[in-house]
Amino acid sequence: MFTLIIADKKLEKQIPNNDYKIINLLKELDMPVETVVTKKNNKIVIEETLIEDDDEIEIIQVIYGG
Amino acid sequence: MKKCTQCGSKDIIIERKHSGQRLCQKCFIKGINKKVLKDMRKNKLLNKGDKVMVALSGGKDSVMLLDILYTFYERNIIDLCAMTIDEGIADYRKDGVDIAKRHAERLGIEHKVVKFKDCFNFTLDDIMSIDSERGACTYCGVFRRWIINREARNMNATKIATGHNLNDETQAVLMNYLEGNIENLTRIGPKTEARNEKFTVKIKPLREIPEKEIALYVLSKELEVHLAECPYSSSSFRGEIKEFMNQLSNKHPTIMYSLLKGFDKMKPSIKKDFTNEFTKSKECVECGEPGSHGLCRACVFKKEIYNNIQK
Repeated sequence: MFTLIIADKKLEKQIPNNDYKIINLLKELDMPVETVVTKKNNKIVIEETLIEDDDEIEIIQVIYGG
Repeated sequence: MKKCTQCGSKDIIIERKHSGQRLCQKCFIKGINKKVLKDMRKNKLLNKGDKVMVALSGGKDSVMLLDILYTFYERNIIDLCAMTIDEGIADYRKDGVDIAKRHAERLGIEHKVVKFKDCFNFTLDDIMSIDSERGACTYCGVFRRWIINREARNMNATKIATGHNLNDETQAVLMNYLEGNIENLTRIGPKTEARNEKFTVKIKPLREIPEKEIALYVLSKELEVHLAECPYSSSSFRGEIKEFMNQLSNKHPTIMYSLLKGFDKMKPSIKKDFTNEFTKSKECVECGEPGSHGLCRACVFKKEIYNNIQK
């Protein structure tokens, strides 16, 4: 399980496999990489970062329209 | 494991697809500062002793711009002030205005907030609530430019600095080209020279920095910014172009750089053939601001809006 923070909401989510990265999460949410900044446990990270158990992943939308 | 290509740190925050460069927070901030300063020198954007007025919305672009220009102010190279426009957009604008006020107060610089309502007796919400002939961004852009020009003179600024980024510039090039506004293309660039003594020179120090990197910069430096989307932006033609460019950039990461580079190469030729000369004698008969056809665009729009309100 990990915590997803997005648009002022906190959600608990399952990690579907051992190679689950932030970029996979963004694809599921239909959010282009170029429009967001992502944080893992309150530190800015690249989208290739692996999501692990008990992680807190924050997605900050910084560009709108696409 | 991927490491910072500058210092070897494993905590990387950006991987630039177009160059393969990977950077940690410290190297990214250092690199972006260096790039902006290099662009400013290349385009001769500042002179010692300039008084620069930052058009400060409270959004990421203008906050980063203020942060960088403040380093020149700290070293007594320039004088710095800021101006924020409150267009009157309910549930949106107040947050940005408050953030702008807090930044100016924190840095101890002269700051002014100017409202559409006080200048024109209507807000952007008022305009959009009536049967408007044009899109919100068209009205907003013209009225904002009118206020910015006037306030730059009131604040005795010698330069106006705006936070236009790489995405904004490429969108402007594409929009004007697609709409056939070739004369407008002659005015796109890092520095807009004054065509009339009532115009102040405008500079765009961030025009080669991608929007996402600006967001990364302000979030890395933990600068307070207003990240919400303007409620009127998605319905505009610019919104459509933005969406198109974002999609294209995902597949072709260098597309915005090449578009701007190509445009900058063509610009001297376009300027030579399509510059619409403003003469010093031409001023709006209504408000006295510069204009090419008797009435300036802001006064033409004001008349349209007053007529529509009376209907």
